[in-house]
Amino acid sequence: MLIYRPDGAVAQDLDRSAPELAPALPVLAGCRIGILDNRKPNADVLLHRLANRLVERTGAIVVRADTKNAALPCEDQVLGLLAEQVDLVLTGTAD
Amino acid sequence: MTVDTCSDDSLVDFSADGDLVAEMADRGWGDGLPLVAPTPERVDAMLSGLNELDSPSLDPDEVISILPPRFGEASRRILAVNAVMAGCLPVHFPVLVAAVRALARPEVNLRGINATTHCVAPLLIVHGEIARTGGYNGGLGAFGPGNRANATTGRALRLVLLHVAGATIGAGDASTQGGPAKYGFCIAENMDASPWPTYPTTVGVNAPSAVTIYCGEAPHNVHDMESDNPSQILNKVASAMATTAQNNACISQGEYLVALCPEHAATCAEAGWSRHDVASYLFQKARLPAAELKEAFSLRAWPPWMNSLNDDELAPMTGDQKNIRILVVGGPGKHSSVVPSWGMTRSVTVAVDQQVSC
Repeated sequence: MLIYRPDGAVAQDLDRSAPELAPALPVLAGCRIGILDNRKPNADVLLHRLANRLVERTGAIVVRADTKNAALPCEDQVLGLLAEQVDLVLTGTAD
Repeated sequence: MTVDTCSDDSLVDFSADGDLVAEMADRGWGDGLPLVAPTPERVDAMLSGLNELDSPSLDPDEVISILPPRFGEASRRILAVNAVMAGCLPVHFPVLVAAVRALARPEVNLRGINATTHCVAPLLIVHGEIARTGGYNGGLGAFGPGNRANATTGRALRLVLLHVAGATIGAGDASTQGGPAKYGFCIAENMDASPWPTYPTTVGVNAPSAVTIYCGEAPHNVHDMESDNPSQILNKVASAMATTAQNNACISQGEYLVALCPEHAATCAEAGWSRHDVASYLFQKARLPAAELKEAFSLRAWPPWMNSLNDDELAPMTGDQKNIRILVVGGPGKHSSVVPSWGMTRSVTVAVDQQVSC
């Protein structure tokens, strides 16, 4: 019995199932670390603690940015500024 | 079990005498309930539901929406496949197509709706002529069960979310507890018993048929069998709205859907209250002390004026009276309901006929 698949294709230009990762930084000493706080409860606590430890160990510089709300994607403008200002970003906390 | 995939990769070969639900589940498809096999003949018949609206030249493979988080392409054919699986009739199909168009509007924030840990589900509300011709129930027991149009169209929308949008448990849907509304959540507006103009006209949609997508929780009942004036009834509605146990409490842009039963709506209308009056009253009455809300939520998506309220002042449960949406739903009896919002989402109403003929 032939039946149709119910899922269909994924939009080619929007397929984010396997995003390409940037290459890892070989050395953190002196690099600029961005903190992207997604406004989830305690995200700021975790991210700042992590960043501060990296600063203590490597002498990195911390730059902070916030999303407006945890339920919305980060604005392209914020991502663009981070891309210009930092070498790596700490983000990605949930509930 | 599944035999193989055909040369046309949109078709798969399933064993005719096998367990369709199990075979589908092996591929990650389905909602756990029995399914109708989406054979080409049945899918073609479903697509004819659009042709009946004098739109014979529609391309069934045109992508009408892209649905996150999977970013799946929702063509009319794919939507028809899911409508068949859910048990829809062709007359229901234009409602599903319009609903998917509404879901894809950016203000709905479908990626958030699908991916959140909250229990939110899109409520599909059917208005106007197609509610009558399609047999949708806005009267007794509108939220279910028992009506094929409501049950299958609501289920079809969920199947589209599961299959096309990728809102599968764990991978694309992080809902902590899930919810019964995620199986299917579809009602009609009860225009025959409403004392007010049809809901779409209040949001600028003037069309014979329309659908509204409102993303919220399951309905919370409000029972009042004794009041003979609007304020007594609406005080109870306001009480159901004014709680810290919902996302509206910390997200001021969130809407409320207030589904008044016909008898409660009649009490309001007979006292001369318009839909606007009802919303105005609820905006004033559905409030909590600012201190209580601030204590409950350190992170609040509030405008500056709400954050500036003194602790002893009352804060509204939503930042604007326009966020309180009034609809008449149900049959005889004195039970209304409040459907709190997920918060970072806006309801969308679109015309059905315009959507299928463009």
